[in-house]
Amino acid sequence: MRLNVRFAGAGGQGVILSSVLLAKAYGLGEDMNISQTQSYGPEARGGACKAEVVISDEYIDYMKVDDVDVFIAYNQTGYDKYCSDLETKDMVLINSTLVTTNNPDHYHIPGTKIAEEMGKPQVVNMVMLGALTKLLPRLHYDKVMDAIWEDFPASLAVSNMEAFDKGYRFMEEQLLQKQSAS
Amino acid sequence: MEPQQREPLPKSGRKTILQGNEACARAAVYAGCRFFAGYPITPSTEIIEVMSSEMVNAGGTFIQMEDEIASACAIVGARWGGKRSMTATSGPGFTLMQETIGFAAVTETPVVIVNVQRGGPSTGQPTMSSQQDIYQVRYGSHGDYEMIALAPSSVQEMYDFTIRAFELSEKFRTPVVLLADEIVGHMREKVIVYDGERQIRGGHRNYVVSPQDDFFTGSNSLVEGQFHDDMGRRIGHLADKSGSFLASLESKIQNHIDEISDVDTFFMEDADIAILAYGSVARPALQAVRSAKGIREEAGAKGRFVGNLRKVLPWKKPDVNPYSHLNVGMIKVNSVWPFPDKEIQRLAKNCKYVFVPEMNVGKYVREVDRCLKHSKVISLRKLGGDLHTPTEILAAIAKEVEQHE
Repeated sequence: MRLNVRFAGAGGQGVILSSVLLAKAYGLGEDMNISQTQSYGPEARGGACKAEVVISDEYIDYMKVDDVDVFIAYNQTGYDKYCSDLETKDMVLINSTLVTTNNPDHYHIPGTKIAEEMGKPQVVNMVMLGALTKLLPRLHYDKVMDAIWEDFPASLAVSNMEAFDKGYRFMEEQLLQKQSAS
Repeated sequence: MEPQQREPLPKSGRKTILQGNEACARAAVYAGCRFFAGYPITPSTEIIEVMSSEMVNAGGTFIQMEDEIASACAIVGARWGGKRSMTATSGPGFTLMQETIGFAAVTETPVVIVNVQRGGPSTGQPTMSSQQDIYQVRYGSHGDYEMIALAPSSVQEMYDFTIRAFELSEKFRTPVVLLADEIVGHMREKVIVYDGERQIRGGHRNYVVSPQDDFFTGSNSLVEGQFHDDMGRRIGHLADKSGSFLASLESKIQNHIDEISDVDTFFMEDADIAILAYGSVARPALQAVRSAKGIREEAGAKGRFVGNLRKVLPWKKPDVNPYSHLNVGMIKVNSVWPFPDKEIQRLAKNCKYVFVPEMNVGKYVREVDRCLKHSKVISLRKLGGDLHTPTEILAAIAKEVEQHE
């Protein structure tokens, strides 16, 4: 199994952090091989930002994503830049507060809205990571939670874990609705 | 060739996920580095960041200097005073360090310098990768001197090669450069790390031109940038003595090239096309070889991603793919300098073509071309800071081979 995941958004949205946590959850929690790479501009905030995670139960030779399987767009610029690479089989998650698209196959998560409702707009990346965790194969809720717990100081971990949970639950509900509709 | 005599790494290690730069810093602490001076520069800043806290924890010294010139001078001075020392920088800072690198070479001071390459010249591309410093690392300072440089291509190699850099620098009493690049420096992978401190032995007297027994004891030692005798006394005005000093500086590295050189091979037994790569480009190159052969990546990875994979892996019936007619193998050069001439000649003696993918205008390829008289050596260069993709490499090889047959 080789899973190629690409995150795109603006610098400062937590794009790279969410990819690192995904890598840690898969790598240490699920004991898979991972490789996480990133590219960003010289700015501290703003500017296009991309992060990639390759997950495999085999050796990873080429550590970048050559054929995207899962794509997560945090903002419109990121979506527009990479949506041309997508195939219909690919799984696409968008932060629907900031990304507008009329593709019904995409998973729409109002990440920024959920985060703002919590009073912490900066946890949007955890909401998105939560939704993503629900959808990915061979990845458990608690492994990602462990990764978040270990990555943050205790004072910040709680709100981030809460946001992660909100994203996860949101996607769970979406899937149930989809199931009952079909 | 004799097997390389190395102290094996301990069996027990901790598995964790680290960025290449973090792995480098932790390896330095494990290798006994207790003095770090540096000036932050993208993409090597994480090394400095981790070192600033690790040095405090390990009871060492961390100084953020005013610039890279001072950083290089500080680590040379710290080594004279008895502390194992390191600095880290990127291309622009590495240029500033060149004078001191030459000084460290002539005073035979064992220091480790990490160059996490970015695009240049000048400020160039702060956040993008390159392999453009491959010649600067060898020939950057003035005068004749030998340089040892190691090029990692995974996070585990970043960790292991940092340790190796300290070992080589202590053994041969010479500056050693860890020539990483932005991709390896910023990539996160699983890595096995060790706790405690590694015992690294100092050089045998035979490896050193002027042993100066009091060299690592601080102010009493006579250290001299001019050519000097075994006690540190000036001989720069004596042509015959200076000549033999310079020759010994060269031979202490060149005569031990078998011990220093580190070259991995993949599927080279019957290959008539070889890809020769170093640093992060080795990763897509290896993927290219495997996909041409229709071999999947090996399952159950343990430790360093390189190794004698063909011994473990049963040869599967190759899948038919557009490149399965190419009989490719790969040579991965880990010790890029001194250039392992004999080793590469031996490995590539049956190769009709040797392709050298590089993230620069084609530099190392000249060295390979000089060394291999009987193969057609072709550069696969890529500029702009992006890594080659495996398909790009295979397509270029297929096109070239087709043209000649």
